[in-house]
Amino acid sequence: MSITLVIFAVILLISLGITYWAARRTATTSDFYAADGRLTAAQNGFALAGDWCSAAAFLGFTGLTALYGMDGAFYALGPLVAFCTVLFLVAEPLRNTGRYTLGDVIRSRMQTRGSLLAAITGTVVVNFAYLMPQMAGAGVLVRLLTGISYDWAEIFVGISMIVYVAFGGMLATTWVQIVKAVLMLGAGAIILVMALLLVNFNPLSFFAEAEAKYGANYLLPGNYLKNPFDQISLGLGYVLGLAGLPHVMTRFYTVPDAKAARRSVVWVMFLAGAFFAATTLFGLAAANFVGQDAIRAADKGGNLTLPLLAQYLGGGKGSFGGELMLGFVAAVAVATILAVVSALTLSTSSTIAHDFYVNWVKGGRVEGRHEVWIARATAVVIGLLAIALGILAQGVNVAVLVILAICVAASANFPVLILSLFWRRFNTGGVIGGMTAGLVSSVVLAMIGPAMRGSEALWPLVNPTIVSMPLGFLGAAVGSLLAGRDLENEKRFDAFLLQVHTGVAPE
Amino acid sequence: MARNEAGLEAAQAAVQSLIAAKLRFLVLMTIIFMVGYIGLTVIAGFAKGLMGVKIVGPLNLGFALIAFNYALSWVLALVYERIANRIFDPLASRAAASSRRSAP
Repeated sequence: MSITLVIFAVILLISLGITYWAARRTATTSDFYAADGRLTAAQNGFALAGDWCSAAAFLGFTGLTALYGMDGAFYALGPLVAFCTVLFLVAEPLRNTGRYTLGDVIRSRMQTRGSLLAAITGTVVVNFAYLMPQMAGAGVLVRLLTGISYDWAEIFVGISMIVYVAFGGMLATTWVQIVKAVLMLGAGAIILVMALLLVNFNPLSFFAEAEAKYGANYLLPGNYLKNPFDQISLGLGYVLGLAGLPHVMTRFYTVPDAKAARRSVVWVMFLAGAFFAATTLFGLAAANFVGQDAIRAADKGGNLTLPLLAQYLGGGKGSFGGELMLGFVAAVAVATILAVVSALTLSTSSTIAHDFYVNWVKGGRVEGRHEVWIARATAVVIGLLAIALGILAQGVNVAVLVILAICVAASANFPVLILSLFWRRFNTGGVIGGMTAGLVSSVVLAMIGPAMRGSEALWPLVNPTIVSMPLGFLGAAVGSLLAGRDLENEKRFDAFLLQVHTGVAPE
Repeated sequence: MARNEAGLEAAQAAVQSLIAAKLRFLVLMTIIFMVGYIGLTVIAGFAKGLMGVKIVGPLNLGFALIAFNYALSWVLALVYERIANRIFDPLASRAAASSRRSAP
């Protein structure tokens, strides 16, 4: 395990160097929240890949495929397809209408305090639901990979992310993500080539061998997701939920214009998509070479599949090559977690400092220099809170939170965002109605479902998006109609529409 | 003042033609990827046997469709970028230009 620590120490030193460099370039609010909108499309594309591929993607997809066959491949495909929604409907309008947060978009459309508060609620709930399992996962993984205790792993991960975000803001977070994305893609490329070498570059033999070893059923769907509606619900959660994840969407504010936002989505689709596709082959290769029994013996959930495959390809346990590859992949996994929790911390502190404190409490009357310090302080508080929650989450079933994050994003944030951008009659009542209906139905259904209550579930689906997302839209429509027409808002909509499609702000 | 009003109207007309152009392409493209992907999850849920039909050697229909969805997403992304650069962007700059002219 000492190789992991050495490689990881190098990555950490690079990240701290980046933070030092970024901190000297972070003075204004625009620097802190959005890297002053000066990143290139390629940089943002790599950062998006670093942002969107959590440990669940880096380690989880491979493990799911190795243990459950085709269902793992479904888990990997959804996150790529989701970017079609973002590319066609969301990325450019977001760039054109907001400055730093989702709250900005809703505020510039509705210009009311109630709608801003609803947007803040959606952002904070989704971010914390996403952050907590990441922290819990970080603790378990760092312990498994390096031998540090769970609590110390939490403190270490938490302090690192606080340092990145509080000092270096968006610029440091971005470069931490870029470094991680490069490492992740590099590790993926090395593993892919080494695995393909063993089968004479014929990936079809992975399938043939897996079928021979585990039977034809292994290559069929339904081994992990037993309920057919769960398959569909998971798919819907992905394709609509990504556009409602604030920590990913704020990345579009770091580029100069809509064209660069568009180009960065194309970048991430090829970078992350290629990696996701490769995880399916990794999973099959690991099932063949390492074997399901050895994978389960290392970790019941299969989270160590990719490190074990790397170890096998490097020459096996005990060999120098094997330990080096294992150490490298393990270190990249820790870097992956750090990049994602940093983005979540930044996004949460942005919405608390910018949307809540400056715009909601103070009505925008806060000096820029003052706001940056508030945002930095908020990042420290959010980080400490994340450490505390992470330590409390040890041994608690956090699976339900993972589902909640994407489900609330798809059922509350997505309807509110999309209707704000494109529906003239949408109003503050609709924002509040959609947010409430999406949020409440997601939380209630997830809590009474199998992820929380196991066999005593009162409701059959693990992922409730298929019901809660339509309820979110319904709540938004009913709320809009009940609130009565907001004629001022509808009159402003033409100017807003011009901004959505061209970026030209009214006045 | 009258000229500003006219400029504003021109800007709005330009936005409307941009929206019409977007609808022309994006409705179809959205239907394609949603049907392709959600359709796949429906087949996986309800016609498990169909997914096991072998296509090429050991590759079954399920994995072939998954591979097809990767290719589809990538192709749609490139097609979208091309359409946006060639058709949407010129319309957007026309709308932006007329709105700037209308500004007092």
